[in-house]
Amino acid sequence: MILQFIVCIFATISFAVLFTAPKSELIFCGLCGAVGWIVYLSCLELDTGATIANLLATLALTLLARIISALHKMPVTIYLISGIFPLVPGAGIYYTSYYFIMNEMAECSKAGMDTVKVAGAIVLGIVFGFALPQSWFNRLPHLRRGR
Amino acid sequence: MAVTKEILALAVEMGDLLLRNGAEVYRVEDTVMHILNAYEIHDYDVYVLSNGIFASANEDRDDACSMIRHVPLGATHLGRIAALNQLSREICSHECSLSEAWERLETCKTIPYNKTAVRLFFCGLGCACFGYLFGGGPLDAVTAFFIGLVLQIFLDALGRSKSSKFIKNILGSALVTLLALLAMLPGIPVHYDKVIIGSIMPLVPGIALTTSIRDFFNGDYLSGAIHMIDAILTAFCIAVGVGTVITVFRSLMGGGLFT
Repeated sequence: MILQFIVCIFATISFAVLFTAPKSELIFCGLCGAVGWIVYLSCLELDTGATIANLLATLALTLLARIISALHKMPVTIYLISGIFPLVPGAGIYYTSYYFIMNEMAECSKAGMDTVKVAGAIVLGIVFGFALPQSWFNRLPHLRRGR
Repeated sequence: MAVTKEILALAVEMGDLLLRNGAEVYRVEDTVMHILNAYEIHDYDVYVLSNGIFASANEDRDDACSMIRHVPLGATHLGRIAALNQLSREICSHECSLSEAWERLETCKTIPYNKTAVRLFFCGLGCACFGYLFGGGPLDAVTAFFIGLVLQIFLDALGRSKSSKFIKNILGSALVTLLALLAMLPGIPVHYDKVIIGSIMPLVPGIALTTSIRDFFNGDYLSGAIHMIDAILTAFCIAVGVGTVITVFRSLMGGGLFT
């Protein structure tokens, strides 16, 4: 699990570099991505199924991204775009097309529907994450200063 | 007080730059409005799409002005978005005069992309890490690293020749699949599926999906739909690229390879 966390930090940082994120924010991008991934793995271990796991992981990722963006006064997009990559169903796209080519239609439609479900879960995760009002997050820097 | 045209030009130019570098519609609209407000224009209309900006200001006055921009969907540059965000904050807190703002804007415009060598390395590293995360072993990760390098070289070359997105995604994923299968041929025990999944990650439409959702969430349905179609088509292109190569390989090598 710790190894997964570290590898995922590097994976996310790599993509943040590809999108030319500011250098000072790279490590936080990595952190967002890795936290999302760990939540995803933990949910899978608790047997929630991939859809719920993706939903909760995206939710955690979105909230963390918003907290960091409020603290650093940076656009939330930076953390969110980099952090979402481990959760985006690249594997789903691959398996769907693979089974389609192999003419295993039952497997293909299963993989296809799973991919759509995961994409839907990511959508809902981000939507719920943004449902909290921005003013709550704007208060965070003041809380830290007040301490 | 400066003339309307100058202020509107600054605001729209900033919006243009934000949009071009991959900011979501809501942020662009918000920024343009904030800047207009900061320079004391209160009578304005701003309408932003994912590939265009329409803005007008002070319509009932003599120096009325309106602007239209066409902004093609481009490569994402998060550093520029962050810099523009900072600039817009300073303008809003009135720390920045109009001419100063123009200068800063030009600096933001020229923030470079990372060096090619750096991008190559990190593309490889990203592919390797994802290959590992999605269940591959160390050997798969190493293979994915080299395929990632080749993929990024290929994407850079295509980027220079300005070919269409479809071509980029289909050829890119086909190249990845081909290399992964070739790596398996001399008997190296790689899990080619893990290698492929890791290596197509740079093509997967994560940004388009995220931006699309956020556009929908903010009520910009048209822009959301544009990005969503972008995401779906990209996914489709990847599937076509991967599928074609596997089919060809299978008919050449016989089915035994893919058990």
